Amino acid sequence: MDIEQYIKDIKIKFPKIIDAEVVNTKRLMIYIPKSSLLQIAEYLFKYLAYRYIIVTAMDSKEGYEIIYHFSDDSSGWIVNLNVMLDRDKPEIESLTPVVYGVEWIEREIMDLLGITFLNHPKPERFLFAEDWPEGKYPLRRDYVEEE
Amino acid sequence: MGKKTLVPLGPYHPLLEEPEFFKLYCDGEIVKEVIWETGYNHRGIEKLCQSKTFEQVFYVVERICGICSTSHPFAYANAVESIPGVEIPERAKYIRSIVGELERVHSHLLWVGLAGHFLGYNTVFMWAWKYREPVLDMFEIITGNRNSYAMFTIGGVRRDISPEQAAQLLKVLDEVERKTTLLVGAVMDDPVIHARLKGVGILTAEDIHDFGAVGPTARASGVDIDVRRDDPYAAYDMIDWKVITANDGDVFAKAEVRLLEMYESISIIKQCLEALKKTEAGDIKVKVKEIPPGIGIGHAEAPRGEVFHFVKSDGGNSPVRHKIRAPSFTCIPTFRRSCVGGTISDAAIATAAVDPCYCCTERMSHVYDYTTGKHIMSAAELIKLSQEKTKNLKAKLKV
Repeated sequence: MDIEQYIKDIKIKFPKIIDAEVVNTKRLMIYIPKSSLLQIAEYLFKYLAYRYIIVTAMDSKEGYEIIYHFSDDSSGWIVNLNVMLDRDKPEIESLTPVVYGVEWIEREIMDLLGITFLNHPKPERFLFAEDWPEGKYPLRRDYVEEE
Repeated sequence: MGKKTLVPLGPYHPLLEEPEFFKLYCDGEIVKEVIWETGYNHRGIEKLCQSKTFEQVFYVVERICGICSTSHPFAYANAVESIPGVEIPERAKYIRSIVGELERVHSHLLWVGLAGHFLGYNTVFMWAWKYREPVLDMFEIITGNRNSYAMFTIGGVRRDISPEQAAQLLKVLDEVERKTTLLVGAVMDDPVIHARLKGVGILTAEDIHDFGAVGPTARASGVDIDVRRDDPYAAYDMIDWKVITANDGDVFAKAEVRLLEMYESISIIKQCLEALKKTEAGDIKVKVKEIPPGIGIGHAEAPRGEVFHFVKSDGGNSPVRHKIRAPSFTCIPTFRRSCVGGTISDAAIATAAVDPCYCCTERMSHVYDYTTGKHIMSAAELIKLSQEKTKNLKAKLKV
């Protein structure tokens, strides 16, 4: 995979891409606005037939960062889509209509970080019990464990 | 229209390493819908890792799974070592591959045994687990533990393999290889096993892509993926081996892939042991002073498929974020396609086919009437149902 050419091509195809960089050996991070997620993910997953791995969400300094990991098994590259969400309004379109398997990890992220996935087919609790208090998200920086 | 019943598999169930809950909605004997519920034993390991040093995380992630307790350290090592770009000594690479493959052998033997039990072939169960014992003993000799080996560290491995241990291991492998041949013969040629497993729990290549399923589950559906070959790590690009695939996508294909993979693993270990002779004894570790700020993404092929670790470092002592994905996370939801349309008696083996980690030996499934909540059938009766189906088939096929 000629990565420089790849970055150039994908930037031309999707002009909304904010930036793309190689973060490690065979690991590409593409920074995108949340409005382009479905379109670019569909291109990777359906057109290029990349394998969906998982979604990582974290509480970064700038806001809530969501990283969608896809694998190009023919070359061994892992292509990551990085979306930064506003801390005041942590919501993003659900990727489940495009990538079927995302349903469960999105529910896990809802539980652990309190991010809303719009148009999710089953936006219910996944890991937590029914009696877990509302508005407590263990992976947020401001989370304090109660005695 | 018969009454619709709910058959709960779980929350405590021997098919699953940890408590999980599958609600099978059935119409008569046919499964109509499967709903997956989890979180009964969420241990917060990702959060816990953020409070440990990079070195300590190895021994936390090792405890995610008791059966494949080297797969997580393997993927974590690949992730964390990629941040400073550490090149580990060649000898450490071979030792890592040896431990990884030994684990695959014992894990696959365990699966074959349990699959046999669910089908009513307790002889297969006894054989497979008996032949697995010497492999676990070998682990104790090499690593000091039958489980949770604590072999890996940043920059290499913690123990060397001596020539005497290598000779002992070779002997055990020869024996395991002979016994595998015996098992392959017993499983692949048996007409009743064919009748029970062929055409059951089929997953197409499209299903695999939709769910992101990995490992033997994917390879049995003709999806030719294996991290060891696609993104080589440790010693996998320095030795000769091949990826096993099958095309039917049913439970039989998954059994076939696992059985044949054991031969490959044995061959990999033998080649690694041979290669160890050419490297200098004791050269098993390089010193890594610190982990600079950066992102490390590592994956490794566990017996059940790809284990994925994402590590973010800010230059401190601990990861600021550590995301872990075990293969069962994407394989388990496939029950939604593999069980639906099949019978209840096939559900046990169809769910067992992806090899969700087995640890608990308790089984507390019960069949309730969906509308009245009345108890209909216990877990033991559910296994009995599956075993009776085999018995009836045997009588029908006159074997």
